[in-house]
Amino acid sequence: MNGSVPSPAKTLQRLYLTLFLRGRTSRGLNRDRVPSSIGRKLLGTLAMYVVVGLVAMIYRNHPSFVLSFYLHGMSLFFLGMFIAASAGEILFNKEEAEILLHRPVDSRALLWAKVAVMVRISLWLACTFNIAGTLIGTFGPEGSLLFAPVHFISTCMSALFCSGSVVLLYQLCLKWFGRERLDNIMTTTQVLLAVAMVVGSQLGQFVIPALGSVGNPAGKWWLFLLPPAWFAGFDEVLTGRGMVSSYFHAGIGIAATALVAFLAFRVMADTYEEGLQTLAESRPRKTKESSGRRFVERIMALPPLSWLLRDPVTRASFRLCAAYLFRDRDMKLRLYPGLAPVMVMPMVFLLQGVSGKGSEIGIAFAGGYLGLVPLMAMNLLQYSQHWQAADLYRQTPVAGPAPFIRGATYAVCSLLVGPALLLLIIVVGFLSKKPEHAFLLLPGLIALPVYAMLPGAVEKAIPLSKPTEEAKSATRGAMIFILMISALALPGIGMAVRAQGFYWQFLLLEAVFSVAACLALNVLISRKQWDALE
Amino acid sequence: MISLHSLTKRFGSQTAVDSLTLDIPAGQIVGLLGPNGAGKSTTLKMLTGMLAPTSGTATICGYDLLKDPINVKRNVGFVPDSGAVFESLSGLEYLEMVAALYGIPAQAARERIQQFIAFFDLSFETLTDKLLGAYSKGMRRKVVITAALLHNPPVVFFDEPLDGLDANAAVGFKALIQTLAREGKAIVYSSHILDVVERVCDRVIIIDQGKVRVDGAPAELVAKHEARSLEQLFTSLTGGNDLERKAEDFAKTFRA
Repeated sequence: MNGSVPSPAKTLQRLYLTLFLRGRTSRGLNRDRVPSSIGRKLLGTLAMYVVVGLVAMIYRNHPSFVLSFYLHGMSLFFLGMFIAASAGEILFNKEEAEILLHRPVDSRALLWAKVAVMVRISLWLACTFNIAGTLIGTFGPEGSLLFAPVHFISTCMSALFCSGSVVLLYQLCLKWFGRERLDNIMTTTQVLLAVAMVVGSQLGQFVIPALGSVGNPAGKWWLFLLPPAWFAGFDEVLTGRGMVSSYFHAGIGIAATALVAFLAFRVMADTYEEGLQTLAESRPRKTKESSGRRFVERIMALPPLSWLLRDPVTRASFRLCAAYLFRDRDMKLRLYPGLAPVMVMPMVFLLQGVSGKGSEIGIAFAGGYLGLVPLMAMNLLQYSQHWQAADLYRQTPVAGPAPFIRGATYAVCSLLVGPALLLLIIVVGFLSKKPEHAFLLLPGLIALPVYAMLPGAVEKAIPLSKPTEEAKSATRGAMIFILMISALALPGIGMAVRAQGFYWQFLLLEAVFSVAACLALNVLISRKQWDALE
Repeated sequence: MISLHSLTKRFGSQTAVDSLTLDIPAGQIVGLLGPNGAGKSTTLKMLTGMLAPTSGTATICGYDLLKDPINVKRNVGFVPDSGAVFESLSGLEYLEMVAALYGIPAQAARERIQQFIAFFDLSFETLTDKLLGAYSKGMRRKVVITAALLHNPPVVFFDEPLDGLDANAAVGFKALIQTLAREGKAIVYSSHILDVVERVCDRVIIIDQGKVRVDGAPAELVAKHEARSLEQLFTSLTGGNDLERKAEDFAKTFRA
């Protein structure tokens, strides 16, 4: 940050980029030395996107429109997930309000700087994901040398469209529902966005193969409703392969991007200031006995929780985690959008299964995916903006973090997994005409306690004890990706064994292994020691 | 230099600041006192443009807070009580970022930063090499104070500025604000440390429940209300009576 001619706009952009890449706290960085390359942390993530982008090879022999549609569809999915997950923290950060809101910078400049950084990072992600697809579009059987520059422009447009849509959505919610309810609105918006992205990507699985099998894929009327088709139309027109419908697609894409950008970054920018000022309010809140708190107290008094929570420290940890799961804005913003895909995927599997022969596999996979809910929730519950307050744990007269980890595990299992499981059973009962199909959930459900204990035993997932920046590391994303794949392995083996007639024996064996694994993990958790303070 | 007219802030049905009207001329150090939740920080946040007032207005250096907030912010320096900084920046990166937001040329900014670090006994190497997250609370506070004064504002608001400063730095800081006042800056100093306010400030305003209870020179106020000290005046005005008895009751619960 040694620029000789300071411009507030450039200064802010540089600031937000640095904060995004380094994180907002210094934990995890070498605090005695300023990082020389702030981009290094992102390289792992970008490399992963390059690898995932190789899937585009599948569309090598498809019409160019289909390839473009796929690339834009997946780019919008990845960008949407990234922006939905980061926008809340980037746009509305309370600490930042204390540092910047009294400086002579208007809210519009702050908003533009933040959006510029979000678009820039989105473009890095999109460009790395599109490397393989761009090479195919340029040198493949349907290739055109114009494809690379044209596709780059359309990718920039889709990044702008995506970030503009998210920002606009926040601003509209803020305007319609008022700033009093900003926290809840942001959480709800992010969860809905994450759900929409997952559902959209699943729809794509049906749409793209259907497009490849028709003569003029761009001519389908329903494609006018899908943003990836707009930007694919843009690619078609500028590479000289456009049909009449492509011109319409391209026109809609340009108009929609311009409209969204104009509304989000100009017309609605004033609403943004209201949101920032809300964050600066340290308004006294009335403490009232909410129905949520009464519910938590009630279930704590019921078995099995009343047995499991006899230890006062475990009980306090359960209460603390319950409060954060339901009341803390920062926690809700990371946890629920993060969980949304794994909560939605079982439903998608079930709905896919209903329509055809995959019904049984869909139910089994849904059960497998449910195991990821406690694993991801325990993982995300470690991170909090108030992580320094976790020093309190060390002042408690206990030998190690075990009771805190157990309290968090019980909170996650009873308050998140319990309702999700209930919902899944109801959906299975409703969609599947055969009640015995509920047994297909068992391979996933038997492994559920193991998944719930893994973060505590392996990663020492002490609740609310790490800064939120550490939740963003690329290795963590890759680990979760691998776990999502492996979560499908167990139900897959179950189904294969079932076909051979050994299903119940398999379940018995799995149950024995699960109990043994739980006992071993419990010992590991009990032996955990406190880390040295930084 | 600072003029408040019926400045009010409500949060729902609760009034945090209730029709505050006062004038602060150039060169005056005003101590803003009050118990927790009295409305001190809310007042400062409104005057620095961080919060929109519910009603009323204020002018700072002739600029209207509502109509021309950017010019108000240009003329104001603020040390918030949170002492928040971007921990993943080095001290120098942070101060250069702040200087750039006020349009201070890089060379001039660097010279001013050098002056401040000399005043606060910070080493330039610490400022360039270490991230703010590695600073002690006092060092961080020195950086926040530097960031508030870097653009040489005619009006400065301090919210608990001594929090974390060591004794030498605190003494130096008190001398600094008296020098700044002599040079014509209006200074509002919000604090809970009554004896410091009594020694440093020309004028004291005690607010409680968003309203001004008393306003005047410390010695005059003490004499006028026939109090033994500013502390006694403060506790009698803000309901801090019977504190010894309450402490005794508190200890009794543990004995039981």
